[in-house]
Order: sequence, then C-alpha cells, then structure tokens
Amino acid sequence: MTYHFGRGWARFIPYLLLLPGVIFYLVIALLPSLATSLYSFTDATGLQGAPMHWLGLENYKEFLFMGQASKDNLDALGRTLVFCFFVTTIQFALGLLAAVVLNQRLRGTNVFRTLYFMPVILGAVIQGLIWSLFLFPLGGPMARFLDLFGMRSEFLGGQPSEAFAWVIVVQIWANMGTTMIIFLSGLQTIPSDLYEAAKIDGASSWQAFTNVTWPLLTPSVNTNLTLNIIGSLQAWQLFLVLIGYRNGTQVLGYLIYATGFGQTSGSVTSSFRQGYAAAASIILFLLVLVIGMTVQYILRRREARILG
Amino acid sequence: MNKIKLSAMTALVAAGMVLSACGAPAAAPTAAPAATKAPEAAKAPEATKAPEATKAPAAAKTTLKVLVHQNPPMVAFMEAFNKKFTEKNPNITVDMSVVNANDLSTVSQTRLTANDVDVIDMFGFANQAQPYMKKVDAPNWQQLIEAGLLMDLSDQPFVKNYDAATIKDAGSYNGKVYEINLGRVSYSGIYYNKDMFAANNVKVPTTWQELVTACETFKKAKIACMTAGGKDGWPIFVGAYGLLGALYPDQAALVEGLWTGKITWNDAKAIEMWTKMQIYARDMMEAGASGIAGDAAPGRFASGAVAMFPGGTWYGPAIDEAKPSFKWGYIPFPGSDKADDNKYLFGKYDQGWVVAAKSPNKDAAMKYLTEFSAPDNYQAFANAVGFIPTQPTAKLNTGIGAEVAPYLANFRVGYEQYYVGPKGAGQFANPWASYFKPFGTYDDPKTLADKVQADLKSGLDAVK
Repeated sequence: MTYHFGRGWARFIPYLLLLPGVIFYLVIALLPSLATSLYSFTDATGLQGAPMHWLGLENYKEFLFMGQASKDNLDALGRTLVFCFFVTTIQFALGLLAAVVLNQRLRGTNVFRTLYFMPVILGAVIQGLIWSLFLFPLGGPMARFLDLFGMRSEFLGGQPSEAFAWVIVVQIWANMGTTMIIFLSGLQTIPSDLYEAAKIDGASSWQAFTNVTWPLLTPSVNTNLTLNIIGSLQAWQLFLVLIGYRNGTQVLGYLIYATGFGQTSGSVTSSFRQGYAAAASIILFLLVLVIGMTVQYILRRREARILG
Repeated sequence: MNKIKLSAMTALVAAGMVLSACGAPAAAPTAAPAATKAPEAAKAPEATKAPEATKAPAAAKTTLKVLVHQNPPMVAFMEAFNKKFTEKNPNITVDMSVVNANDLSTVSQTRLTANDVDVIDMFGFANQAQPYMKKVDAPNWQQLIEAGLLMDLSDQPFVKNYDAATIKDAGSYNGKVYEINLGRVSYSGIYYNKDMFAANNVKVPTTWQELVTACETFKKAKIACMTAGGKDGWPIFVGAYGLLGALYPDQAALVEGLWTGKITWNDAKAIEMWTKMQIYARDMMEAGASGIAGDAAPGRFASGAVAMFPGGTWYGPAIDEAKPSFKWGYIPFPGSDKADDNKYLFGKYDQGWVVAAKSPNKDAAMKYLTEFSAPDNYQAFANAVGFIPTQPTAKLNTGIGAEVAPYLANFRVGYEQYYVGPKGAGQFANPWASYFKPFGTYDDPKTLADKVQADLKSGLDAVK
C-alpha cells in the first residue's frame, strides 16, 4: 500500500488535518442532534439550571395520540408534506426553465441571472417584509390589482389556505435562484459538440433537450431535488415572519419553534417545552430521513441507469 | 460517509426510544400542577439576591443590557430615560434591544440562558396553574424563577415605591419579589372618534344594539366602523375580550367553569357571544385590518379613516402622538344588551422589570431600577405610556387616564390572564373572533361554537 504522507507516524497526518473539521462537526452538528434526541424523553425547558425529569415516551405519546391537539399535529405534518410537494415541484420546474433560458446567448442574461438569484441573499425577515408590503390588503400592489376586477382579499391575514398558498409562493421566490444556479452550472458542463451532433442528426430543440440536456443534467437534478425536499420539509422562518402562529397554517418546523421557545400571542403566557419540541423535532427528523433516503435511493438508481 | 452518519443517527435514536420505553414512568406530566407543588418550588435554586442598590457606584465601565418589547411611546420614553441615566452615570452605557411582544418570551429565554442580558421587560405574572387544573405546565416566568434565572428583588428599597398589592399579584412567587410591575392596562375598550360621532349624529354606544346601530350609520356614510392591528395576530381579537367580559364578568370563574365543565363554549349564552363575535369580525372590522401592523393601527385611527378602534389603553399615547389635535374617547366594549353589564374594563398587569440572576452588572442594574422607580421618573413613564400607575403616589393624569378613571372601580383581570389550556386541547379551544370570515374559515356561529367546545373537551378528557 502507498502512503502519500510516508510511513510511521507520518501516516496519521491526514487524520490530524481532518481532526479540526471532525471536532467542529461533532460539536456544532452531531452532539446537539444527539442531545435533542435525549431531551425528547424529558421535560426539559431549555433553561439553564432548570430541573429535568425523564419521561420516557410521554412527549411522543402526547404529540401523536393525545386529544385533538395530536390530530392538529398530524394536520401540521400533512401540511408540511403538501408544502414540500408544491415547493419542490414548482421550484424545480421554474428553476430549470430559468436556467435553460438564461443559458442561451442572449443579451442581458447576466442581469436576469442576478435578478433571479437576488432573493436568495436576502434574509427571511427582509423577504417577509417585501411580501407583506406587496400583499398589504389596504392599497398594496396586489390589492390594487385585484381591485381592478372588483375583488379583494385579506391575503396573509385571511383564509388559512390562502395564507398558506402565499407562503409557498414566497418560499419558491426566495429559493428558486439557488435551483437555477445549480442547473446553470450543470448546463455549462454539457459539451456543445453534443448539441452540434444532435443538430446534424436532425434533432429538434425539444429532442435535443430530452435526449442530451436532461440525461446529462442528472447530477444537478439529484442535487436540486434533494435540497428542495429537505429545505421545504424544514421550512419555518417564512411562516413566522409572514403569518405568525395561526390555526390552519402551521407546518411542523414552525410548530417546533413555537412550542420549544414558548412563542406567544401578545402577552399570553406560555411555557417553555423544549422536551416536547425535541420529540416533535425527532419526528420531523425521521420524516426527513425516510423521505430523503427514499429519494436518494431512487435518484441514485436513476443516475446509474442513465450515466452508467 | 452520509450513509454511515445517517445509520449511526438512526441507530442512536432507535436505541434511545427502546431505552426510554424501559425507563422510569413519567413523573412530571402526572404530577400535581406546578403552582401547588410547594415543596418542589421550595427546592428551586436559590435566586441570587440583589446587592443593596445604594452601596457603591459602578466604578468600572459597564454596559447594561436591557430588553424591552415594541411599544413606540414606551420605547421613546426609555430612550430618553437611558440618555438621562447615562449622563448621570457616565461609567454605565445602556444597550437596549427592542423585540415584538410576541417574541419577548423567546428572546428572554435565549438571552437569559446565554447570560446576555441584565434587565428585562416582562409582563406581569399570570396564568398560574390553579388547583382545579390538571397536568398543566408552569408558566414561563415561574420556570425562569425555578431555574434560578431571575434575581430576588425582595430587599431592594425601590420595591417599596410600588403598591403592595401589585407587587404581590404581579411580581411575587413563593413570598419573594422577582418583578416590579409598572402598570395596569385595560384591553377591553374601544377608542372612538369624537368629531366623527358628532358629525354623523351618532350616540356613544352603551349597549350592543347601540354599537351595531352606530356601525350601520357609519357604513351608510361610507366610513369604516373599526380597525385593528391584525398583522400582529392578537390585536384583531383583543377588543372581543370586552365582548367576552360583558357576557362573563367573572373571568376567573369562567376559566374554572370551562375546566370543570359547568360552562361550555356551545351553550345558549356562548352562542350569543359567538353570534356577536361574527358580527364584530364580519361587519364591524374594516376590510384589510389583518394587514395593519399593531403599532400602525393607532395612526390609522388618528388619521380619521375609521370611527372606532378596539384596543388596549396603551395605544392612547400613540394616538396622541400621531395627531395631537385628534379628539378621542375610550369606552368599555358594550358587548351586552344591558348597559349595566358593560361597565367593566378588563385588563392585566403589563410591563414590569426583572433582573437576570447571573447578571455580571448587578450594581448597575439596581441603579437603573432605582433611578427608574424614583417617583418623578415613574410619573413621566406612566404619562408616556398611559398605564394605570402601580406607584401609589403617581397620578393618573393622562388623556387615557381621564377616560378610564370612571371605570377604575370596575377594573378586572381578564380571561387571558387566567386561562391555561389543558394538554391535548385542540387549536380552537380559545374564543377568538378571528376564527370567523374574512379572517378565518367559519361563517356559522353554532358550527364554530361546537368546534371550540369539542377542542376544549378533547383536552379535558385527555387529562382526566
């Protein structure tokens, strides 16, 4: 066997170089995740110095089986999946379309690339503020537009289903730039001579896309689908800044935040329930794990089939 | 690598679950309510006792971190007070953060845990577990005290500046003082535009029917009847607490009745309340109110766009600031058809000060609260924010003070300060007007009443 760093103790140099990164990962990511799974079996409040008791599976039982609240939790779980489905599919399609269009040699493509990507660099609070103003029901741009047709809406403060749909729109707007950039980088790795060969063989634009672009974009497709699915399953910030805690709109991520950190409405006093929120987090983690691994399995098989 | 990580995580979680199933039986959820757990509460870590405020000035340079919630007149006052305080104490710099009221408890928790704050604005202690409640968690202020994160202020001289009843009701736990509460507020009243009422020949309503008639008159004159800062969520229904209060004047008994099953949200009296709440949400509130931010609503009312504004007394100074010449009045929400039932104002203990037990700047914090509690400073604060004062020497000499003075004898602590939802109760187990269209999905009072009661009962059954 060849050791690039020599023999003896020198063999361990690569591991030593890796050590800071591993320690960083353990401290920042893995240990808190493990601690969360342990907290989920306790009545932890998240307060330093507060007493903590072992509850076994009580938090899980409460979340999944206790009264109407557990049905509301399962509704939130379902809403999370609906959110994930719409965000993933629409964001994926729009990102791909934008990338294909902006990959052409057209004037102003850099301007449009920047415009489409710009929302990504804004934080959730700024994104929320922009859309709250856009959807302001008393004379905001969207209200004025609807007014032209004699219609009106409360938008984010109205029907829960409508408010929920607007969060989907904002989530897509906020993240489509990333999807587009990943597709663009994928498109730019496809050799132009393949398109020339296809053209010589008489392929139409659509045939060139389906037989050249789409198969060779497989790594980008996989990356985007994975990121979109995981990102949308974990989303909560936009729900917080756009809607707040409202019946019929919560997704699991926001439910966890509101429960764990005692988020209240006005001065209503609530309790800090990080143990219970940790149990909900583990359920969300398992959901992401199952969906993520299934998607990964399917995508890898597809990649192996297409690219060999 | 990913597979290995994920497998390891899955295995650990699975192992945890299996181990937990074999673990000790659940102790806390089945235990007695926290408030009745005197022995356990007594075991709570001893809160750090505050040093004597007058002992020694802070000699070294100190940055005092203060956290307050968003209330524009209060924030403006605090900025001016901080400036005055730092001029008087050049060694102390005040670093004040302002957060939305909805986020105050979250930020307090995280900053206290990170030991990143010295003085915190905290609402008066409320929502404590009562003997008839089962398996409820302690309210967050009690959790903070039991975790030893709030300083015991019992021996501080400035505590004596506040009336003893307030200190006991809104700032004490297990015989020790942890908060000085700065004022009571009512949230169950309605501001009305005096000139607009006069111009449209509308009588100030004292009964529900008169309120309905007033709104119809304004609607005919193409004037929106009411507005609220619905973007923040709670302001859209805070006025409806007056409606609730008019029908259930004993709010503590209401909460007990709901827990014991003697009162239900779908009996005849409650249906009357829901019917009125629907009229409030659908016919009285202006279209688009759900988009108005809480701190923008006083300005909208002062602009003359609407005739009335249901909301708390803390909005009074903001209305004055938005338009000093604006003439307004404040009345209890006339939720009942009998004028006598509409004489009550419901409210709460609002903002107070607590100090982080682990604060490295205790001397500076005590100086800050001592200075703030000086009668002249407190009076200026009460004038600025429109609170009903909690210092006995302070005078109620604000515009809003004059308006609420006739009702002060009928001031009662409101429902939201008593209510603690049973675990397992559904998300509709609380009577909010915003469940009705156009803000919510319901358009039938009976259907909503049944849903609210079913959500509550589900929790009550679950904790039996």
